[in-house]
Amino acid sequence: MWQTSYRLLGNHADAADCFQETFVSALEFCRRQRVRNFSALLARLATARAIDQLRRRFRRSRSETDPADWAALQSANPCPAERAQQKELTDGLRKSLSKLPLQEAQAFCLRYLNDMSYRDIANELGIKANAVGVLLHRARAKLRESFELSVKYYK
Amino acid sequence: MEENENTFEKAVEALKNEQIPPGPPQEVVKSTMAKLTETAGKADTVKLDNRIRIIEGLKAAKSLTKIAAAAVLLIAAGYATGRLAGPRPPDMEQIRAALEPEIRQNLLGEMKQYLQLGLANGYVRIKDELSQQYRQDLGRVALQSVAASNAVTNELLTELIESINEAQNQDRQWVAVAFKQIESKRQQDRTELTNALATLALQTEDELIRTKQDMAHFLSYTRPGQSNRDEIGNSDN
Repeated sequence: MWQTSYRLLGNHADAADCFQETFVSALEFCRRQRVRNFSALLARLATARAIDQLRRRFRRSRSETDPADWAALQSANPCPAERAQQKELTDGLRKSLSKLPLQEAQAFCLRYLNDMSYRDIANELGIKANAVGVLLHRARAKLRESFELSVKYYK
Repeated sequence: MEENENTFEKAVEALKNEQIPPGPPQEVVKSTMAKLTETAGKADTVKLDNRIRIIEGLKAAKSLTKIAAAAVLLIAAGYATGRLAGPRPPDMEQIRAALEPEIRQNLLGEMKQYLQLGLANGYVRIKDELSQQYRQDLGRVALQSVAASNAVTNELLTELIESINEAQNQDRQWVAVAFKQIESKRQQDRTELTNALATLALQTEDELIRTKQDMAHFLSYTRPGQSNRDEIGNSDN
């Protein structure tokens, strides 16, 4: 869960907030209905909260730059150029993810970042496995288009 | 187009394999637990507050008509009669008070279990990372030690070679001195030998002369007629 939150948000403070919100949401969900797969539920909730935070972040700071997370700096980095390139790519992808509809963004993250199966994703999102394929296809197409634009913007 | 596709795939891979610091930190876990406890207690209160607010709203409604008021009075009277006549309903507050701690404890237990599971996973990951770091450090230290020992060995070898050269020079000096001494000794021996040989030659010559004289004497004794002639011959010689 921590990994999911941190991977999508990219800094320590937001990941901590997302971690907390996810557990509170999980508690509320547990009260409403019975849970069969807790790890999948936590992954989905963490993904949803993280995407919400990403949206808020990009909406709030369109003209600002992202604050650097100095705590995440590693001493054994590869070369700075490679690090900068990776950061640029991941930031672009995060921004594109924040523009997707929530369900598509969730499906994409659960499949490609959390390696969940179609069946698990379908169970979590309350849809059929075929619909997961459609969601993923749409998400990839939209992401690619948005990502190309953001990469051009960076260039 | 293909390049963009590759860049997109690269971005997905980069996001997926991004280095994530170990976590969650202890303070986040603690604050999450506090928040969960607070939320677990708050939810029921909210529902109760909502109910009270609805009742108050109903009480505050002043635009009811007289008929509605009469109907309400009738319903209330009927309800009161029925309530007094029938068995007393269970006290909801009491039930809630009895069930709440148990439900809260169960929920907290479950959440703790999930947190512990997450922390255990984090622990395994940290352990792996630390062991990998330890291996890398060990390798680096081993390389540095080998390099340092090579330098020390080279230094020792240089010192050994210098000491061997010095010893060889000293040996050569000693040999040269010995040769000089031998040469001077030889010269001395040769001089002594020459002198001895000269002395021996002189002594031999003297001895030969004496022997010759003795022989002449002897011959003069053996042939008395010729003794004068021989003496004359010797004097001529």
